[in-house]
Amino acid sequence: MSYTYTTDLAAIRAVVHRYAIQAGLTEARAVDLTLAVSEVAANTIKHAKSPGSLKIWYDAKEIVCQIHDEGIITDPMAGRRKPSLDALGGHGLWIVNQVCDQVEIQSDENGTTIRLHMNLPRRGAGQLPVRADLPGASRRHPPCGTTNAWIC
Amino acid sequence: MWYNKCVDLLTVSVTARESAGEPYTLVEIAGEADVTNTDELRRLLDEEVSQQPRTLIIDMSGLRFMDSSALHALLRVNRSLDRQGGVLALVSPQPAVAKILRLTTADRLIPVFGSVAEAAAG
Repeated sequence: MSYTYTTDLAAIRAVVHRYAIQAGLTEARAVDLTLAVSEVAANTIKHAKSPGSLKIWYDAKEIVCQIHDEGIITDPMAGRRKPSLDALGGHGLWIVNQVCDQVEIQSDENGTTIRLHMNLPRRGAGQLPVRADLPGASRRHPPCGTTNAWIC
Repeated sequence: MWYNKCVDLLTVSVTARESAGEPYTLVEIAGEADVTNTDELRRLLDEEVSQQPRTLIIDMSGLRFMDSSALHALLRVNRSLDRQGGVLALVSPQPAVAKILRLTTADRLIPVFGSVAEAAAG
């Protein structure tokens, strides 16, 4: 699924939520992924000033949302530190890191690509969600499994 | 700004009320609050803050979604009210909204109540 967006964040949220449920995420986790994609797409509107693109795919293990825009993120720690509530800004990417199982950020002069991964519950009764194997994951942005365990 | 046209996603209504002789301002926000309508939300809330209410209650029960931009608008209102001796209270956030309040620990800064009556009673 590929989707180009400008300012239609509500439409994006509806699409992401629909695919998340279809892929097998629970309602609460679908809401988390929807929030994460909306925050990333909001950054496109705030900083890139050009359209962004959203791609969604899933398999048996995970659903991935990939957002690309022409903005550039220069801080390699973007979204990794919890901003102070007095900061009145900068919470977006931090929230994304809290609600997703893995976040990959690649940014260079061609723009920024962010991949948000959510593990799917293993099919079968009574099974807890398992962490999917994540080949090709960026070593600069390891999954924050222990941090996320109490949130997700 | 250029994206303010999306404000129709969000509806805001304001009423002046009273609880046990104490006046308060009730702001009901419904729909979806995100970066595309934050400026408008901020402007409307700033107007209410400028009236110097002792208590400003925001009923969020009709709010399906809130992003970090809208959260910052609320944090700003909280700070402004605090400086002028007023109090901000939030009422009945839906799960998605409660989640962002909890994640950012904004719910430790701004009191959250289950009903307008509880919030008005303080």
